[in-house]
Amino acid sequence: MRFVVFVKQVPDTTLIEVDENGNLRRAGVPSILDPCSEHAMETALGLRSEGDVVTAVTMGPPQAESALRRCLEIGADEAFLLSDRAFAGADVRATARALSAFVERFAGDATLLLFGRQASDGDTGQVPAEVAEMLGREQFCYSTKVERAGDAFRCTQDYGDEIRVCSVPSGSVVSVSEGDVNRRLPSIERFMAVRNMTVTVLGRIDLGLGNFSVGMNGSRTRIVESRNVRSVRSGTVIDGSDPVGAAAHLREVL
Amino acid sequence: MMRISDLPEDSPYTIDECKIRGHADEVVIVENEEDIIETVRTSGRITISGMRTGMCGGSVPYGGTVLSLERLDRVLGVGEDERGFFVRVQPCVTVRQLNDFIRRRGYLSVPFVTEGAAERMSSDPDGFFYPVDPTELNGSLGGNIASNASGSRTFKYGPTRNWVRRVRVVLSDGSVLDVTRGELRAEGRIIRIPFADGIREIPLPTYDYNMAVKNTTGLFVEDGMDAVDLFVGSEGMFGVIVEADLYLASAHPLISNIVFLPNDGDAYSLSKDFRSSGVVPEFLEFFDSGSLDLIRSSRRDDPRFTEMPDIPDTAGSALFFDLPMDDDLCSSYARLEPLIRRYGGSLADSWCGHELKDRQRFFSFRHSVPQTIFEYVARLKGSSAPRINKMGTDMSVPLDRLDEMMAFYDSKIKEYGLEYVIFGHIGNGHPHVEIILKDMDDYAKAKACYVELARRAIELGGSPSAEHGIGKLKVDYVTMMYGEDGVEEIRAVKRAMDPENIFNDGNVVTMGRGVTE
Repeated sequence: MRFVVFVKQVPDTTLIEVDENGNLRRAGVPSILDPCSEHAMETALGLRSEGDVVTAVTMGPPQAESALRRCLEIGADEAFLLSDRAFAGADVRATARALSAFVERFAGDATLLLFGRQASDGDTGQVPAEVAEMLGREQFCYSTKVERAGDAFRCTQDYGDEIRVCSVPSGSVVSVSEGDVNRRLPSIERFMAVRNMTVTVLGRIDLGLGNFSVGMNGSRTRIVESRNVRSVRSGTVIDGSDPVGAAAHLREVL
Repeated sequence: MMRISDLPEDSPYTIDECKIRGHADEVVIVENEEDIIETVRTSGRITISGMRTGMCGGSVPYGGTVLSLERLDRVLGVGEDERGFFVRVQPCVTVRQLNDFIRRRGYLSVPFVTEGAAERMSSDPDGFFYPVDPTELNGSLGGNIASNASGSRTFKYGPTRNWVRRVRVVLSDGSVLDVTRGELRAEGRIIRIPFADGIREIPLPTYDYNMAVKNTTGLFVEDGMDAVDLFVGSEGMFGVIVEADLYLASAHPLISNIVFLPNDGDAYSLSKDFRSSGVVPEFLEFFDSGSLDLIRSSRRDDPRFTEMPDIPDTAGSALFFDLPMDDDLCSSYARLEPLIRRYGGSLADSWCGHELKDRQRFFSFRHSVPQTIFEYVARLKGSSAPRINKMGTDMSVPLDRLDEMMAFYDSKIKEYGLEYVIFGHIGNGHPHVEIILKDMDDYAKAKACYVELARRAIELGGSPSAEHGIGKLKVDYVTMMYGEDGVEEIRAVKRAMDPENIFNDGNVVTMGRGVTE
């Protein structure tokens, strides 16, 4: 079996602060493997049996290789970096297009396509759904548990007000909401081995994509403006020493 | 400046992390140097207070005024001299604050002390770090200087003293001494300090200050010593630090490692071979089987504890060390591998991590041992034993005497019928022994045992207080180390620097007025 895990490198959002003007202070904030991606990787590593392969994939600039090396260190067997200047500025659709092309060309045999629920920087949560749509695969979002069920899989989805347990056919897209808080750590032996492993870099042409399918050209959305919004809710205290009066006042307000 | 009188019994200003409760007539929260000068000129007796994270009662007052520096918490600037870059801070900037400032590269947001330094620091591709890493990151840098704080990295970088460039101090007559390293030195054992009424000749102690080990016992002294060093480690006896310059070191990427071994002896033996392997770690820390069991037990109650994977079942001890992530890393591991195998471990039975987040988790794992004991003792204190306190040693010995000290810890603590765990700075000959107390009987036994352990550490050429300082709790150990004559010589310095005994009465030595708990 082959478990393909799509991951993302993000700034460590726990270290980002907001300055007095409301701007994000990004200086000195390291880039890390997204904790949401790590849940997906953790799920794949938990499902892997002898002979199975866990593949880590990300789309990003050359420095995103370090997120893939982190995946290799904690147990992934191989890693692919989709990196090309033409990919810059990709929105959800253009990202999903590149990832789908990767699956079609390099991972058609994937047993499961695993994602984190959302990226902790972009927060859209739409890429898994669009990949499923483009590839015509079933999609299982908000998964909190994925387990083997004979030759297939079963996943538990938590929708907040409803828990579903579903059988998952081979080739499905699964996005994972939760994982072990105790991150895996590599052994020194594994760390040394990974230093000799190669991350395969694939560009637009390797994926067989045209210029107008990727990056800004392939995007259907643009960020026009971004600003901080502070919602302020003011409460009103109703004195309850006069219950009848308080009830009448409340009724009036409502 | 704000004054608070009528302090409640549970005032945070009358206690520190040793959990001994003092009392004070008032608290003065100062805003600037002028406030400090005024307070010094008008108050009778002052206990200087920063973040109160000390372990020996140094900031616990017994009467008089608490002078709180809590509002002096700004980074004032950056500069450069022939040694390198430095940061200018107010005394209540914490270690964590300084680390954050460096991580965020906030150099351009503060005034410059020397022109162009901020620009050069900002554009440095490798960045910088402050090498002193005490366990308590919320401690103030003024307090760190006053106690010559150290941490794991003292193994490679030395204690706070090595990183202090300059201090600005309000002295006992209200005058201000601003001294940069190299400007004012002693002649032999006499140092001349300028006060408002003229230069005072200060007779320095004649004893040999033990620099062969980590040591914060007594007053630092050496022939021709720098005036800056008179204040570093003086525990606030001679004045109030109002500003300091601290050097930074060039940053380099690091990888944290924990190697698991079958039992205590294996990890201890490996630590010795490690030191002669030619591989130079940033630090070398030890966990015995009891320490690992403490962590295992805390994780059973809360799986999120330490946010680390499960400790392997076969692990009976461990060594923790950081290595530079440079071109030599693989050859360093290759040199360590046969040593680790010799003592029953392997590179497969290990953890490593190089992302900042992971490295922070390694440190939290290391600090979880004393933290677990601290919380355990706090529970005892809150229920069956209100007067109990944590009993952790802070003794260092020369590395060639560590075998004897480790054997003595084991035999002596068992002789008292007590249980203990050992962890910490094995690379400096300075492991911490935590005696696990069950009740007040154990506490009484542990106090008697502690005295014997301290005496033995001194006999072996070590120090009874390697990094926590003396404060008010350990003054007897100063006498144990230097004798009555040595203590009297420290008193002579105190009398010359602070004739009215205004500052921090009872710290390091008693001055006759007496300290009452």
